[in-house]
Amino acid sequence: MTTEAPQPTPTDTRPRALRVVTRKNVLAGLMFIGIAALGLFLSRHYPVGTALRMGTGYVPRLLCWTLLGLGAVILLQGLRGEDEPAGPGVWTQLIPVVVVTLSLVAFALAIEQFGLVVAIVLLIGIGAAVAPGIKAWEAVAAAVVLIALSWAIFVLGLGLPIPVWPVW
Amino acid sequence: MELVDNLSIGFGVALTPANLGFALIGALVGTLIGVLPGIGPIATIAMLLPLTFRLEPVSGLIMLAGIFYGAQYGGSTTAILVNLPGETSSVVTCIDGHQMARQGKAGSALAIAALGSFFAGTVSTFIIAMFAPPLARVGQSFGAPEYFALMVLGLVAAVVLAHGSVLKAIAMIILGLLFGLVGTDGQTGGQRFTFDITALADGIDFAVLAIGLFGVGEVITNLTRGGEDRSIMTAPIKRLWPSREDFRLAWPAVLRGTGLGSILGVLPGGGATLSSFAAYVLEKKVARDPTRFGRGAVEGVAGPESANNAGAQTSFIPMLTLGIPGNAVMALMIGAMTIHGIQPGPQIMTERPNLFWGMVASMWIGNLMLLVINLPLIGIWVQLLKVPYRFLYLSILLFCAIGVYTVSNSPFAVLVAAFFGVLGYVFVRLDCEPAPMILGFVLGPLMEDNLRRAMRISGGDPMIFVNRPISLGLLIAAAILLLMVALPAIRRKREEAFQES
Repeated sequence: MTTEAPQPTPTDTRPRALRVVTRKNVLAGLMFIGIAALGLFLSRHYPVGTALRMGTGYVPRLLCWTLLGLGAVILLQGLRGEDEPAGPGVWTQLIPVVVVTLSLVAFALAIEQFGLVVAIVLLIGIGAAVAPGIKAWEAVAAAVVLIALSWAIFVLGLGLPIPVWPVW
Repeated sequence: MELVDNLSIGFGVALTPANLGFALIGALVGTLIGVLPGIGPIATIAMLLPLTFRLEPVSGLIMLAGIFYGAQYGGSTTAILVNLPGETSSVVTCIDGHQMARQGKAGSALAIAALGSFFAGTVSTFIIAMFAPPLARVGQSFGAPEYFALMVLGLVAAVVLAHGSVLKAIAMIILGLLFGLVGTDGQTGGQRFTFDITALADGIDFAVLAIGLFGVGEVITNLTRGGEDRSIMTAPIKRLWPSREDFRLAWPAVLRGTGLGSILGVLPGGGATLSSFAAYVLEKKVARDPTRFGRGAVEGVAGPESANNAGAQTSFIPMLTLGIPGNAVMALMIGAMTIHGIQPGPQIMTERPNLFWGMVASMWIGNLMLLVINLPLIGIWVQLLKVPYRFLYLSILLFCAIGVYTVSNSPFAVLVAAFFGVLGYVFVRLDCEPAPMILGFVLGPLMEDNLRRAMRISGGDPMIFVNRPISLGLLIAAAILLLMVALPAIRRKREEAFQES
C-alpha cells in the first residue's frame, strides 16, 4: 500500500475487507473484468481468422482482452486506495432498481397480449411503489391521465400500431 | 454565389408551412422535456424519436433538430431558476445564473442566455454553410484507412474530454464497441453475443440503448437519491429585459463564447458541454475582477450559454459531412437518420441537397423559434418546474417504455432497455461516464468494417495506416492527445477545467 486508504466515515463500521471491496474503482474493475471474461467465454468458438481475413471472432476477442487488461489496472488502482468508497448505499438502495426493472418487465410482457391500457396500469401500479410520497388516489389519477395522453399521442396522433385493449 | 444558392435551397425547404410547424413543435416539445430536471438531451431525443417516424425524412430531421435545441435550451432555464443543471452543458450556467436569479435578476439572466444563444446559433449556421462543402469534398477522398484513423482520433478525443478517470473512459468505449458488435456479423454472417435470441440477431437498437442508459438510468439514479432538494424561484420574474450595464458586460462575452464554441464543437469529442466549460474558464481569465464570478457575473452566463449553443451546432459539421459523430448527441442523430433510411456521409450533400440544406436552414429557424418560445412563455416553464418528481418519474418511465416499444416494435426491446437502465445506474454509481460508451457503440460496427476493408486493401499489412499521409496524420494527432493526458501537468489542468462545478 503506497497511499493510506480513505478514512472510514464514523458510521462506516463495516470490516476493512468489505470497505475495500466496495470502493468505486474496485467494483468498476471487477465489473469490466467480469464483462470481458463473459465475452471471452461466449466467443470461445467464434472463428478468429487472420488479420487479412478477419473472422467473426477477431475483433470481439481483441476487444475483450483489452477490456480485461483495463479492468485489471482499474482494479489495482482501487486496491491501492486511490479512490473513495462507493458508499454503503449501493447495496441498500436496490429497491428502486428492482421496482423500476419489474415495472418495465411487466409492461413488456403485457403490451402485446393485453394491450396498452393494461400495460400502463401495470407499469404505474408497480412503479408507484417507489414514487416519493405518492398517495393512492394520485397514482390512479396519474394512470388515467397517462393512458389518455399516450393513447392520444401514439395511437390517435401518430397512428402507431399499438394494441390498446386485450387481444383474446 | 454558391453559399447563397445553397442557403436559398435550404430556406425553400425549411420555410414551407409544414416544416415550419414541425420545427416549432420540435422546439416546443424539446423545451418542455428539457426544462424538466433529471432528464438530459440524449434521453429527450431518444424518447421523442418515435414522434418523427411517420414524417418525411426532411421533416423528421428538422423536428428532431428542433427537439435538440429545445432540450439544450430548456436545460439552461432549469439551471438558472432551480440551480439544477438540466444537462451537463448547463452545469456552469448554474454557478452565476442562479446567483443572478437569487439577486432578483432571473429575467435578465434568462434573456441574456436566450439572446446569446440566438446570436451564437446565427453565426454557427453560417459556419456550417461555409465549411461543410469543402469538408465533404475532403471526406470524399477518404478511403477505409483514413476513416478508421479518423474514428480512432474521435474516440481518443472522447476519452480526453470525458470527466474523471481516463482508464475508465477507455474501458467504457471498449464496452460500447463490444455492445455494438452484438448481432449478425455483416461480413461472415456469424452470430455474435446473441444468446440464440432471434430478436438480438439484428443487433441492439441504438435508441433502445440510449433510452435505457440515459432515460431509465437517470430515473433510477434520481430515485435512489431520494427526494431531491429543489429550491425553485417562486418570486415572479419582474423585468425580462437586461439593464444597459448587463448588456455592456455581456456582449463581448457572447462574442468570445461564440468563437470558442464554434471551434470546439467541430473537434471530435467536442460539443456543447466542453464548449460551455471552456467558455466559463475563459471568461474568468479575461475578467478584470474574477472574484465577481460565482456571485452573479453576467459574463458567466453569457459566455457559456453562447458557447454551448455554438458548439452544439457546429458539432453537426463532422456528423453531416463525414458521417462521424463527435459526441453522444450526434451519435443519436446518426441513429435517427439511419431509421429514416439516410446514411450520413460526404455523399449526402450532393445526393440529397434538399435534405442537407433544409436541415442547415432549419437550425437557424429553430434558434429563432427558441427565442420566441422562451422569453414570452417563461412563466409556463416555471410552472412546469413545480410538478412533483413522483409524477415526473412515472411519466418519464412510461414514455421510455412506449418509446422503446415503438422504436423497435418488439416487447423484447423493453427488456433490453430495462437491462441498460440498471447498467446506466451502476455506471453512475461507479463514476463511469456512459457518454463515451454511446460513441463506441455507434462507431464499433463502422470501425470494424473499415478496419477489415483496409486490411484487405493492404493484404493484411497494418503498415497501410502509416503509409497513407492523411491516416498517419490523424493517428499521430490521436497519439499526441493520448500522451498529453498521460502527462501529469496537463492531467491536472484537465481536472481543473472540469472542477468548475
